Amino acid sequence: MTNITVRIKRFNPDTDDKPRWQDYTVALDTEKTVLDALEEIKSEQDGSLTFRRSCRHAICGSCAMMVNRKNGLVCTKPLKEAVEEVGFFGAKNTVTIEPLPYLPVIKDLVVDQSVFWQQYEAVRPWVIPVENIPTKEFRMSQAEVDAMNRAETCIMCGACYSSCPVIAGNKSYIGPHALLKLFLRVMDPRDTEIEARLDQIANDNGAFRCHKVSNCIGACPKGLNPAQAISALGNMALRANKLSQARAERLKTLIAQVEASASE
Amino acid sequence: MSDARVITHDVVIVGAGLAGSWAAMVAAREGVTNIGVLSKVHPLRSHSGAAQGGIAAALGNVRPVAGTGEDGALEQVPAGAEPPDSIDLHFFDTVKGSDWLGDQDKIKVLVTDAIEVIYEYEHMGCVFSRTDDGRINQRRFGGHSAPRANFAADWTGHVLLHTIHEQCLKHGVKFYSEWQLLELLLEDGVARGVVAMDIVSGEIVTFHAKAVLFATGGYGRAWKITSNATANTGDGVAIAYRAGAPLMDMEFVQFHPTGIYKHGILMSEACRGEGGYLLNAAGERFMEKYAPSKMELAPRDLVSRSEQTEINEGRGVGDDKQGIYLDLRHLGKEKIMTRLPQVREIAMNFLGVDIVYELAKIQPTAHYSMGGIPTDVDGQVIADANETPIVGFYAAGECACVSVHGANRLGTNSLLEASVFGRRAGYAIARFIKGGAKLAPLPARAAAAAQRARLARLMSRHENGRNVPLKQLSETLKKTMTDHVGIFRSQESLETALATIHRLQGDFQHVRVMDTSRRYNTDVLAAVEVDHMLTFSELVALGALARRESRGAHARTDYPTRDDNAWLKHTLVRQSSDGTPELSYKDVTIDWEKCPPQARKY
Ligand SMILES: Cc1cc2nc3c(=O)[nH]c(=O)nc-3n(C[C@H](O)[C@H](O)[C@H](O)COP(=O)(O)OP(=O)(O)OC[C@H]3O[C@@H](n4cnc5c(N)ncnc54)[C@H](O)[C@@H]3O)c2cc1C
Ligand code: FES
Repeated sequence: MTNITVRIKRFNPDTDDKPRWQDYTVALDTEKTVLDALEEIKSEQDGSLTFRRSCRHAICGSCAMMVNRKNGLVCTKPLKEAVEEVGFFGAKNTVTIEPLPYLPVIKDLVVDQSVFWQQYEAVRPWVIPVENIPTKEFRMSQAEVDAMNRAETCIMCGACYSSCPVIAGNKSYIGPHALLKLFLRVMDPRDTEIEARLDQIANDNGAFRCHKVSNCIGACPKGLNPAQAISALGNMALRANKLSQARAERLKTLIAQVEASASE
Repeated sequence: MSDARVITHDVVIVGAGLAGSWAAMVAAREGVTNIGVLSKVHPLRSHSGAAQGGIAAALGNVRPVAGTGEDGALEQVPAGAEPPDSIDLHFFDTVKGSDWLGDQDKIKVLVTDAIEVIYEYEHMGCVFSRTDDGRINQRRFGGHSAPRANFAADWTGHVLLHTIHEQCLKHGVKFYSEWQLLELLLEDGVARGVVAMDIVSGEIVTFHAKAVLFATGGYGRAWKITSNATANTGDGVAIAYRAGAPLMDMEFVQFHPTGIYKHGILMSEACRGEGGYLLNAAGERFMEKYAPSKMELAPRDLVSRSEQTEINEGRGVGDDKQGIYLDLRHLGKEKIMTRLPQVREIAMNFLGVDIVYELAKIQPTAHYSMGGIPTDVDGQVIADANETPIVGFYAAGECACVSVHGANRLGTNSLLEASVFGRRAGYAIARFIKGGAKLAPLPARAAAAAQRARLARLMSRHENGRNVPLKQLSETLKKTMTDHVGIFRSQESLETALATIHRLQGDFQHVRVMDTSRRYNTDVLAAVEVDHMLTFSELVALGALARRESRGAHARTDYPTRDDNAWLKHTLVRQSSDGTPELSYKDVTIDWEKCPPQARKY
């Protein structure tokens, strides 16, 4: 079995003046993921190496970091694949791992995502339904679900966020993760606040801040397309009036369907 | 940092998965304003989000096409047609699934509340998959005699978790994200608060509260092959036990039939719900032998035992012959892409196969903890077989044992349990607080300082240089639990396990961690988690050794049949005054007229 070098950017603000690189050696085997390598280093070589993880299969969003200068989840990334990529230092048989960029480092690969979460909360991520809730489900079509483009599967890992050059320079931009959430809500026929949401999208820190660099597409480990959602939102914001009328009509039919089914 | 800080809340909730979040949201909605929710991972990283297949409720939206049999096509129920499913049917399936160890009065509550809980999720914006006429779509699941798994493709838990978390934010719930529970403050039968660590700063803080709810999830990490997230180390159950609360039915641990070979990561039961086959090395659909009528859709305990039997008899696959094939190829690309997209990705990532065209290697994996902290239907923790309440202490979700799953949980019933009983606990806590609950004084002893000393010992240099590496200890424990407290058990295997666990408990005194810093020290917290695993693993083995029968997920090779005369009862275990565990038993609630124990055939 070949040994490879895992080169990790380390930093503990309590004891280090600035980040430093540290090399570890692990055996390459085809079944290992990059996360397995980190776990192995932590439990066998250096317990102070610090990173987040939990689910181990790309659903909890804990383990986003930068591997070979590219954001992604380490739990599903095969170590072998990472070794075969051209590394940051151009060194052979070396994988480099760094924390997600543009965020303060708490320790090693753990970043402070407070601002990220504040932006998520700022868009009111919850659905705002009609006052008179039916007794059964709203009759929403599968086509309406499909039109959300899987935005509901976003795991809020932050990989897109930390690849966005606008975010790099300006944290008042609400960011691709929060805009994707807004897209989900705007597309949801059950949501009554389309007008207010489109206003938020159209404001200074909303969709029009996006420079269409589209790094977020490549960064998303779930294959989602925040850039497309943001551009769709931008277009919708320009047609806000029409859309809120259309939503009002749809809400009427949604309620009528439920009332009809209640008397079935 | 002195660790002297005290934070006071009316309610402290530990855990922000479905159970904890429902409780927090409901209590807040009911007007309790001062709630703090602690979670060792960000709430949206909780393990509930990993659930794939579905959440049960007899909505009756979908039915099998007449004449197509057990794995035939499904269609939406036309308006005015006879409902294909009912609360009663869901009730009976759950009782039977539990091998009659579930309390029937409590199961009734589970299946009844199910309906409104699912509609409530829908009204809160949860994105479910839909039928042609716009209703919530449903699929089949093992042990359920009607299609009643309400689903969102194969990321059901994810959408439920995000939905309920959003609602918590809407209702202004305060979260302490990345705070780890260390101790429950319980004295004279009254809960007074908890001690927890702010992981980022390393500060240890005492939380003073009128009510404490544990919703800390399952304990599946004590096994080598497991579907559970690294957070599922059973902290809540171990901490409750050490504080003096009893635990119930700890020996019942579910092994899921389809974990990824060698990794344990889950391939949802939806794979079989949608029509997947299990094949042995000879390419035979071996379930014909074990469950001729339900086949692959028999309950999990039965399917896992069948797989293990095939493996033990030499018909396994893979280099160590510990695997089984899951065949999904006949479902076709279209169905796999719309119904099982996440599963397909998981198989690609971990096995390097595309399930549209290739077989996937799987093996049984530790999955779900039926046992836990005993409660009534309102999350109220009980102290004994007479159901004496522990005032101000509540539990819900996988860490609790109501018991609705008895000896074996049916798939999709646990997202339901976490939601239904988290929600009910939220209402109960709101009644408790609004009824004038008082803050009971904190215990006189210096609990936070004692926790600091515990961590300091783990971080110190060892006096005589005898240092036991944490990894070696935890791996020995996991291997022991897999080999000796796994799918099949016997007196011999369980005695071996207990001896090993006792030795490891001694060795733990010599564990020293490598990271000695305060900030975000996951090394020392991992050691604390192993400490918890050592605590509850002993109780699992002990309950299993005492229970001389086979029931549900507990299969004794030396006592292969169910024994209702001697063992139709719940196991309770609590710490005696000398620190050793003490077993006692509690009656199962059974409606002897309507639903007496029957032979369990599928
Ligand atoms: C892979 C997988 C798939 C599943 N699929 C399904 C399915 O399709 N249908 C179904 O019904 N069930 C399924 N289950 C089971 C179901 O997901 C769980 O039983 C349920 O989600 C548990 O919810 P919970 O709220 O009790 O706990 P969890 O969601 O596990 O949450 C536990 C919470 O407690 C916190 N916590 C734990 N310890 C501490 C501590 N020491 N300090 C602070 N916080 C702590 C965690 O941070 C977390 O917030 C599945 C389980 C797995 C493993
Ligand atoms: S560990 Fe959960 S996303 Fe990687």
